[in-house]
Amino acid sequence: MAGSLQTNTQLSADLLRDDSRLPKVPEPGAMVIFGASGDLTARKLIPALYDLAAQRRLPMEFAVVGVSRTQMSHDEFRKKLRKTLDDQRSGETSDAVWDSFCGSVFYLAGDTKKAETYQELKDFLKRLDGERGTRGNRAFYLASSPTLFPAVVEKLGEAGMNRGENGGWARLVIEKPFGRDLESAKELNTGIRRYFEETQIYRIDHYLGKETVQNIMALRFSNSVFEPLWSQHYVDHVQITVAEDIGVGTRGAFYEEAGALRDIVQNHLMQVLCLTAMEPPVAFDAEGVREEKVKVLKSVRRIPEDKIEEFAVRGQYTRGWAWGEEVPGYREENNVAPDSTTDTYVALKLFIDNWRWAGVPFHVRAGKRLPKRVTEIAIQFKPTPHAPFAGAENLEPNILVVRVQPEEGVSLKIGAKVPGSGFQIRSVNMDLLYGTAFLEEVPDAYQRLLLDLMLGDPTLFIRADETESAWDILNPVIRSWAESEKVAFYPAGSWGPGESEDLLARDGREWRRP
Amino acid sequence: MAASVIGESRSAPEGGPMSIEQVERGLARLRMNEDGSLGARATVLNLIVVTDEESAPSIAQVVADLSGHYPCRAILMISDPDEEQSKLDISLSAFCSLRHGTPGGTGSQICAEQITIHAEGPPAGHLESLAGPLLLPDLPVFLWYPNGQMPRPAESDGMVALADRLILDSGGVDDSDAFMRGVADLSAGGSPEVGDLQWAALSPWRSLVADLFAPAERAGELGEIKRVEVLHRPAGECRALLFVGWLASALGWRPESAVRGKAGREFNFSGPSGEVTAALSPDSPDARLRRVRILSEEYSYQVSRHRELSDVSSTVMRSGELLAGRMVQLGSFDPGVLVGEELRYRGRDEVYKAALRTAAEMLDL
Repeated sequence: MAGSLQTNTQLSADLLRDDSRLPKVPEPGAMVIFGASGDLTARKLIPALYDLAAQRRLPMEFAVVGVSRTQMSHDEFRKKLRKTLDDQRSGETSDAVWDSFCGSVFYLAGDTKKAETYQELKDFLKRLDGERGTRGNRAFYLASSPTLFPAVVEKLGEAGMNRGENGGWARLVIEKPFGRDLESAKELNTGIRRYFEETQIYRIDHYLGKETVQNIMALRFSNSVFEPLWSQHYVDHVQITVAEDIGVGTRGAFYEEAGALRDIVQNHLMQVLCLTAMEPPVAFDAEGVREEKVKVLKSVRRIPEDKIEEFAVRGQYTRGWAWGEEVPGYREENNVAPDSTTDTYVALKLFIDNWRWAGVPFHVRAGKRLPKRVTEIAIQFKPTPHAPFAGAENLEPNILVVRVQPEEGVSLKIGAKVPGSGFQIRSVNMDLLYGTAFLEEVPDAYQRLLLDLMLGDPTLFIRADETESAWDILNPVIRSWAESEKVAFYPAGSWGPGESEDLLARDGREWRRP
Repeated sequence: MAASVIGESRSAPEGGPMSIEQVERGLARLRMNEDGSLGARATVLNLIVVTDEESAPSIAQVVADLSGHYPCRAILMISDPDEEQSKLDISLSAFCSLRHGTPGGTGSQICAEQITIHAEGPPAGHLESLAGPLLLPDLPVFLWYPNGQMPRPAESDGMVALADRLILDSGGVDDSDAFMRGVADLSAGGSPEVGDLQWAALSPWRSLVADLFAPAERAGELGEIKRVEVLHRPAGECRALLFVGWLASALGWRPESAVRGKAGREFNFSGPSGEVTAALSPDSPDARLRRVRILSEEYSYQVSRHRELSDVSSTVMRSGELLAGRMVQLGSFDPGVLVGEELRYRGRDEVYKAALRTAAEMLDL
């Protein structure tokens, strides 16, 4: 190593950090959060940044600037954030570490539709570059209402903040929803790309930050035993379930506009579908992974608009019983129209028209007020071509279940001989539960994604063509449902409407009970 | 995820000498739940620990805690080869975790196993013959000698040959020079790879020091360092030596001379840009590194730990003016945490080897 030290100008801190035991720490920089007085900032972003700072994952030269219309001083903003953190952690926050962290947290009150707010912000960030060494690097996090996204992006661009100062970088983070349909998504992407390059844009779906979701790729691409079976040669069909046990609660107004299709299927469920069906990427990097995901989305057969009912079910929960408690139906929830047709449940039958998956149905469903919270992928294999055992003709198929939450693991249903004379076969669930092998603290999804953002690694963020392709798949359904009043009802606490069962029953299949 | 796990310790009633088959059967019985179902065994590694009677209770507790986080087959060997009478006593226990969210818990029990072998007299001189047959196949073997112990010469061949990684602890050794030289010799052998808990404990310190020089305008200062001061606990000299060894090997400083005085030890290096002095002072009353200060003509870089809290402060000063500073958490240095850190590390640690080599060179001056 000594040989590499020739002149001082060549010295780099990498000499001390070139070590797999030491974590990667981002370059100095500032994170600007628009919509800073909102829930997301206090409940998710600041706790994640505080944890990263406390765990020595952020550089010393780091600052957070919150921007919002609410009038607040820096100190008032900091106190508000501290209170939320204390409420979350019941006093487990270190005063000394918080005091140090919050010294780099600032607040700027301003109307994000007005140009002067951006000039003020630009001046403030320049000041931070001088005082706190943030070196002209900026990440702009849009945590405000999605309706403000286009205006914020335009004003940032017009103020020249779409480029970092003095050779630094500028990155833009957008929270879902990425539009309401294909047209609005394209419009949003076009608007953003007038000012920011695609490489500067980080579309965040916190699902991808979850260790358990990333583990789908680990399972598939680090185990040669599964991959040869992972195709139409051996797979009968795939079921993907994203179930929530809660109702809409206080989010009725939001949900009336969104529905399960936009809120869950377009992003979380499509991402899980991609990770399940994609080809092995050449490398686990941004382009390698995202390119393969887009190929899957492009291969999903578009549902003809005149056959929506054959492939899609819109459901809505009615009054029912959940975990021993009677709960209201969707139309009885606050801020929900009494005749609402909003989907709280969606089931789709999709086909991926490529070499690997030709003819294999992917049944996907997502819903609220289902019996339990669970996300899982179930791969049902084809039956054996011939059962040589007398009296064992009705052998059950093998099912490989990849559970993403709440209990991460893999379960394989296999046939085994019942002890005794004769040859009776019974199915046994073999739980691999690989998640239990590593009982370490799992970082919060936002922690992982914010760190990747600061490090400039977009692998776990969504590219424009991913989001547009996902909308393109769902657009016929969205259009058809917009023109129809038909909703299939299901009682809260059940696994969805009967129409959803029919969707599979027509092919002689049935939903599994997760 | 750890929060979603509750654990249950189970012990086999029988003890005394047992055959290998009896051990395996006894462990399987411990995995059986009250309803007759068998708890799954998730195992990622084998862990052999060799210790003495005195340390055994505290080490057993560390191993039990570890198995909750690193499901393993742990073989705790309490060895006393100096006894004249042969004695062999084996006891079995399991730590079974139940994951929340599964009604009834069936199929959700994950059990890690612990075999405790108490060997006295001649059997204690052949521990490999006891540990070897009990290892689970196809999984790495970690061999841990806690509390500054080293493999006895008789164990060097047999026991060490079983291991993929040898974990030592230079903390609290009486003769740090001899220990460091011994570890350096073992490490130079290359097989198995050697790790030191005191090196694992240095990771946050090293990361914080690297952060001090991260901005491009300060990276050049690495070549301007004139003096390094390390305050450490009296029995924590090895950790301090490794720290200086790391800086020296990373920055190309060659050890030239050493002075030992009342206040500690000083080492002189020739660096690419001139002479550098490193002063090690056993000034800290607690069990850890206390402060690292790195000085150049203009700058002073410091990482210092609060005496009572686990918080640590980093500062950069130029001519007395504070340029940057922050407070972060240093993390836990409990033996379980440090061993856990070593169990995660499977590869060849070239940075440690270089630091150890340089530290050994410093001691040879």
